[in-house]
Amino acid sequence: MATDWVSLATQLIWIILFILIFTGANQKIQMRLWSYDIRNKLSVIKSYLEQDRARVERQLKNLGVKSPDLLIKRAMDFFIIQPVDIEPTDIIKRLEHLIITGDKSFRKMVEQVIPTSTKYERSLVETGLSIVGVMNQIYKIVRHYLLSGEKENNWILLMQLEMSMPQIMRIVETYHKSLDAFLTGTPIGDSVGPLVAYRLIELGKVISKKVVEDTSITELWLDDRRIYVIKAEGPGSNVGRPGRVLYDLVEELKGGVDLVITIDAALKLEGEETGEIAEGIGAAIGDPGPEKIAIERATTKYGIPLKALVIKMDLGEAIHTMKKEIYEAGEKALEYVRRIIIESTKPKSTIIVAGIGNTLGVPG
Amino acid sequence: MIFDQNTMLILTLIALAILVIQLYMEYRRKPKQAKYIPKEVIVCKKCGYEAERDYEPGDFISLVKGKCPKCGGELVIKAIYSVKLEERKT
Ligand SMILES: [Zn+2]
Repeated sequence: MATDWVSLATQLIWIILFILIFTGANQKIQMRLWSYDIRNKLSVIKSYLEQDRARVERQLKNLGVKSPDLLIKRAMDFFIIQPVDIEPTDIIKRLEHLIITGDKSFRKMVEQVIPTSTKYERSLVETGLSIVGVMNQIYKIVRHYLLSGEKENNWILLMQLEMSMPQIMRIVETYHKSLDAFLTGTPIGDSVGPLVAYRLIELGKVISKKVVEDTSITELWLDDRRIYVIKAEGPGSNVGRPGRVLYDLVEELKGGVDLVITIDAALKLEGEETGEIAEGIGAAIGDPGPEKIAIERATTKYGIPLKALVIKMDLGEAIHTMKKEIYEAGEKALEYVRRIIIESTKPKSTIIVAGIGNTLGVPG
Repeated sequence: MIFDQNTMLILTLIALAILVIQLYMEYRRKPKQAKYIPKEVIVCKKCGYEAERDYEPGDFISLVKGKCPKCGGELVIKAIYSVKLEERKT
């Protein structure tokens, strides 16, 4: 009878399922599914990486490089080893030294290949190369965990990787898209700090200007106060060394500064509005440490109030072409800065305003 | 555990329906990414004429670009930003 067969089949299916659960074979099946999924996503990362590499290659060829492969290979695997941190004495100095040496060597590497190009063109190429480097790094790390998970049958490792893949893919897509801005030279979201600084310079009466270590210091007179505006030198892709320069400037003025304001883009929490402006205390700067500590040390030494103004955005918005919302937030932040200055200082005081961030597309 | 064939069929159909609904929900959850295009705002320093144009690679803020159509003064790039491309449904 037909019902007998059906019940037999049902029983069999249950028995097989039980055996699978007790022997752990179900996890094996799941592991296969996960590694299949990770493999698919990994191939997407690879295709992005190849596209980006090709774009940078084209950029280099346009600048007259015959075989850009060598430079790309060299730049892609370029690394900086973190300083020893179990012995913290001097760690900031050592880190600063490594970062500066790293930057200089990387620039030299690019300059040797395209000596006739302008500083602006080189800065775009440098950033393009470092984006390809980041993509390459992510690709290699994901591949490493996938292969070792498969080799060692480590399904927990694969599960972790599978669960992290959406986040990794989001980061990869963010970097992939950011190449548009960095190869054409449009301002990015992170440029909002330098943009506010530039607007401030436009408003005031410029007294003097100098450039130290890729960072410009503009002395100006505005609202009956002496204002020093510090920003990375534009319009190339450049973050400058605002901390170091601010420290030296405060020393040069022998501590005669009444207020320091830093303006920067800040990563927003999920759910926060893009372009929200927030005011606070401290150094708004997202470097690995040396620049931030220089600002803190300079202001602490002479007891100068240190204020921060941040404009909220997510990682994608920070490294893609500046959205209109962020541009408008920048205009608002400019008024905000002027208000803070007028509220918290007397006429004839000296104020330092530092526009922190990459100054891509913003001159001055 | 004795089911007749009809019960089995109904159970299978219900399971399939749940699967389809779940897949559809998953698909719906993915937000469609909006497209952004870069624009630039040019302004005449003499008469205040202002216009929004498409961005051209290599342009940056404060670059002098062309002559004002109204008074012949210099046009300067005031702003560069990206705007959401509105997709019109026909
Ligand atoms: Zn005009």
